[in-house]
Amino acid sequence: MVEQASALEMLNIVKTFPGVQALDDVSFDCAPGEVHALCGENGAGKSTLIKILGGVYRPDGGTIRLDGREVAFSHPVAARRAGISIIHQELSLLPHRSVAENIFLGVEPTRCGILDRRKMRVEASRLLRRLGSSVAPDSLAGDLHIAQQQIVEIAKALAIHARILVMDEPTAALDRDDAARLLDLVRRLSAERVSIVYISHRMPEIQAVADRVTVLKDGRTVLTASLAETPTSRLVRAMVGRDLSDFYPPRSTQPLGPQALAVRDGRNRRLRNISFEVRAGEIVGVAGLEGSGKSALAQALCGDEPFESGVMEIAGRVRMLRSSRAAIEAGIGRLSDDRKREGLLMQQSVRDNATLTERAFASPLRSPTSEPMSPQSTDERLAQLDVRAASFDQEVQFLSGGNQQKVIIARWLARDPEVLIFSEPTRGVDVAAKAAIYRIMRALAKNGRAILMISSDLPEIIGVSDRILVMREGALVGELPGGATEEEVMAIAVAHEREPQDFAS
Amino acid sequence: MSDAQALAPATAWRRSLSAPPLLLVGSVVLYVGVAVWTGQTKMLEPSGVVGLLQRMVALGIVALGQTFAIIAGSIDLSVANMISVAAVLASYIMQGRAEMMVAAVLIVLAVSALVGAINGAIISRLRVNPFIATLGVGLILQGLLSASFTNFAGSVPPEFQLVAYSAFGVVPYSVAALFVLAAIASFILWATRFGAHLYAVGGNAEGARLAGIRTDVVTIGAHVVCSVGAGLTGLYLASRLRSGAPWVGRDGVYDLESIAVVVIGGTLLAGGRGGVWGTLAGVLLFATLDATFNMLGVSAYPKLVLRGAIVILAVAAYTFRSRGHVG
Repeated sequence: MVEQASALEMLNIVKTFPGVQALDDVSFDCAPGEVHALCGENGAGKSTLIKILGGVYRPDGGTIRLDGREVAFSHPVAARRAGISIIHQELSLLPHRSVAENIFLGVEPTRCGILDRRKMRVEASRLLRRLGSSVAPDSLAGDLHIAQQQIVEIAKALAIHARILVMDEPTAALDRDDAARLLDLVRRLSAERVSIVYISHRMPEIQAVADRVTVLKDGRTVLTASLAETPTSRLVRAMVGRDLSDFYPPRSTQPLGPQALAVRDGRNRRLRNISFEVRAGEIVGVAGLEGSGKSALAQALCGDEPFESGVMEIAGRVRMLRSSRAAIEAGIGRLSDDRKREGLLMQQSVRDNATLTERAFASPLRSPTSEPMSPQSTDERLAQLDVRAASFDQEVQFLSGGNQQKVIIARWLARDPEVLIFSEPTRGVDVAAKAAIYRIMRALAKNGRAILMISSDLPEIIGVSDRILVMREGALVGELPGGATEEEVMAIAVAHEREPQDFAS
Repeated sequence: MSDAQALAPATAWRRSLSAPPLLLVGSVVLYVGVAVWTGQTKMLEPSGVVGLLQRMVALGIVALGQTFAIIAGSIDLSVANMISVAAVLASYIMQGRAEMMVAAVLIVLAVSALVGAINGAIISRLRVNPFIATLGVGLILQGLLSASFTNFAGSVPPEFQLVAYSAFGVVPYSVAALFVLAAIASFILWATRFGAHLYAVGGNAEGARLAGIRTDVVTIGAHVVCSVGAGLTGLYLASRLRSGAPWVGRDGVYDLESIAVVVIGGTLLAGGRGGVWGTLAGVLLFATLDATFNMLGVSAYPKLVLRGAIVILAVAAYTFRSRGHVG
């Protein structure tokens, strides 16, 4: 696929923000039809580079060329007009508008000033067919499955005849099958000579789809190389700065403690036949496809959408959980899979976020800075987790994803619950922070906590868990020991109910 | 995937309970029921029905404009004050002289468009929250008006009163005008780029901006439409009252009622979804309540209680309807 002439060249880009050298002499190029992966930890400069490409920031130095012609974008609209389309991780579809209206947003075809809705529909279904999807152009975007929404986003890029497509972690919210389909789509687009900048943390994906890879670290290029000529170990070392063997912490060899959490015959609107136990000192992983009920399980255990029948025991006592508050009182701590919406108060300080749960349970008569909410002990907990912030008075929204996740964990350190439910603990978190979160989880387990980790990231499930529970269609359908292979987990997760390739219908 | 498909019929069923027909049927049943029950069957004759529709005009026109502001994710609290300004300005300029009619109407429309542009600019350029921006502009308008006029100012000529008091056969000009305006508004929302962009800005302002839409222009446009709607309502009230006073807008509670009927009509207060026919159905419901309470000879206060309850119920029903639906 790689050819001589570059569709995109970014040469010697420099960008400085007050106090930070975000990009220092970074060069990046992409041939027509090439898939060029861009990796690096959060804060490495990936998003700054993409924002410069997208016209959001202007570089302090360096040049950008498209097809050999030098360009300078003053506004995101200018970059779009030049054929650059960026698909952000948070999709930007209008949920209440039709697929066709979304695809032609801002470039609506008109006839005599009147919207040509027929053309919009026809063109939309043509674009969607080209992407191998049979989503109806009249359906509402908000009714679509997330994988279909992603395809609509790609169709939006095709509608403006994008020649350079930037995809920012496109598979982060997809299950394995949908992710595989998306990768096929990337290959198909590249065959149509669309240049693709593919941002991802996931090594297997990069290896499956990319022609070349560039790794950024601290605003500099560490490595740009053809993927075929680069051994995985070298790539991982460039990204993480250490070898993969240190990535997942060793499993505990201590004997397990008493049973901390047990559910028998748990059942509600979305779940059935839920019976399992987790013992102190243990990390149990829960795997399953999107829609298998694994997120419903987390919600049930945390009292958010509780079980309607069945028995739940926490630390040996039978508990009925009717609310999140009841669950916390009973000894359950939760790391939600959507930290922006359910986890954090974005505009409050790191410290306030770290004491949120304690304050919710503190007597109104006590001083808000009494133990364990005092600034000193809060800061100690934050430091213990190695939360990196300019100051703990800083608004939590300015922290990286990994540090935000640690702030939520700090909240639970103060409370010290028996059971911790971690949903997608490393979603949208860079590789180094992932390793740190795994180490924290292992340390918590070692201190006698029981951890249930619900995750769509199979390597993580396999690498971290002591035992693996597999869900399908709202039920627990299997259990595997830690270190099982991905194939074993998938075999249970998909079983035989799999329909022959009718996904897009 | 399988869950999504399983959910689809239920969601579709809930969504098929579309607001405008339900409100229409409810209003008709209420009106006919009360008329028959109280034996006032002459209210069911054309003249009675026209009387009902006539009650819709003032609130209807301002609510059409408010629909634009709310779909665009904004809101306009200055419409009541704008209505007063328009009514006073019209009758003050006319001073009973027919030859000043055209000039007065043009000036009122220009002033209201300017106020809308100012509202929109404060919101989109200075990034002031729309509640605060339009509340401030409304207070300024009311202050200027009350400082300059203390009572009915001037009067409108008999020719201008025809706007409110004359008819094509049995259909008053004003009622016809309301439905023509609604049709135009509906066309703008459905069939123009401006309409599509209103929904985009209201649904996801950042997404719209990144898609290359000039969101500030769209917001300003929505507010111009909204204020011009208020200006037209002011002209209509001046015609009906034969003069304008600085309290006509405030007394009609047009700011809060216009927002209430838009929301009852199924437009999302957060923006991005809705339409003018729902708003019109909401206006009809309010007009029907007025008419039926008159027929029943009950005082106006229980009507307020009922209106409040309807607003709450409507929004609760919409929330229920959209629950469990993705995004």
